[in-house]
Amino acid sequence: MDLVDLIEEKRFIGQEFLTWLWWKSEERGGVVNLPSEGDIVVVFEKHMLLEYGEGESSEKLTCRGLQTELQEARTGLVMGKKLEQARIQLTHNDYEWNFTLAGALMEFRNVKLPKTEGDTGNTQNPEEREGMVLERIFLFEELERMVLELFRLFLQLRVGEGWREELLKVREWVNRAERA
Amino acid sequence: MGFINGTASFVRFSVEGDLPENVWDFIADRVVAFAFRDIDETYEEDSLGWVSVFNMFDMEFNYASYAAGNYVTLSMRHDERKVSSAIVKKYVQKEEERIKKEKQIPKISRTMRVEIKERIQNELMRKSLPVPAVYDLCWNLENSTLLFFSTNKKAQALLEDHFKESFGLTLMQQIPYICGQHLLDEKDADRLAGITADVFL
Repeated sequence: MDLVDLIEEKRFIGQEFLTWLWWKSEERGGVVNLPSEGDIVVVFEKHMLLEYGEGESSEKLTCRGLQTELQEARTGLVMGKKLEQARIQLTHNDYEWNFTLAGALMEFRNVKLPKTEGDTGNTQNPEEREGMVLERIFLFEELERMVLELFRLFLQLRVGEGWREELLKVREWVNRAERA
Repeated sequence: MGFINGTASFVRFSVEGDLPENVWDFIADRVVAFAFRDIDETYEEDSLGWVSVFNMFDMEFNYASYAAGNYVTLSMRHDERKVSSAIVKKYVQKEEERIKKEKQIPKISRTMRVEIKERIQNELMRKSLPVPAVYDLCWNLENSTLLFFSTNKKAQALLEDHFKESFGLTLMQQIPYICGQHLLDEKDADRLAGITADVFL
């Protein structure tokens, strides 16, 4: 199968991951336990994009607002829409990243890296410059690593025996939006 | 804005294929061979090549090296001469009118129309200034992964071609399914291949 077909056929995997992660972050008030890292903070905020249907007949729903105002997005889930993009705040070891994750292609958009002391972007010194580049690479790769660990956690559940049980919990959370 | 400062958007690729033993010599050789060539003083339609992530005019990497630890950091610069179709249409019509008047003919033949369009398009292209676009990348040599700092599909396609041409290595976009195949063990990866979408309500 070529990449274009693969993207189309398997786009649900990334979208299901985002939906599951939203539920997972709300399950313990924003705290998600990663087996390799311990507790990290994952908060869904401000901006979400939901999708319904495929190809030309697809519909999109954009929701903006504070965390508590994302009720509309939850209602979208009840109507069978899938979460395609979400603005996420991720905190680990005193570092805080803000980024938008696009589910179908796993694109990281508008990534705001944690603030660091070593911001020497205008330096002429080659060593300092290399240090600054390496620091930024470290921060990009840390974000990438943690999102991949979260994704691995989801995939292991998704293909494992415990998925039915997990799915019931997610459904219960989705349907709670309807009753709220 | 991007890799070096400000907010950034990126997609992940894996780098498929083997590098020779003298990795840095090979990369140095290829980066220079496939560096950006300026077309400001020529009539070429477009130009694509590597420049420094710090300075899009630095094609010799004198100002800053592309090597940082075990990483290769490069910018792909693409300069392109573009003429909008509305401008082409206007000048083709203008030229057709001029020829009709000059030759005292009521209609322009199909062959002549094609010839006029081609000529006008070339003339306008030569007059237009190349528009630059710069996209950063960070290649992790240890893990054979690459972050490309653009979500533009056309830029990604240009990168895949230019990277292959420069280094003889193939880039594979890490969409969730392909990425999942790397993250899981063999048994779970087989299961992943068989799952279908679930309903979350």
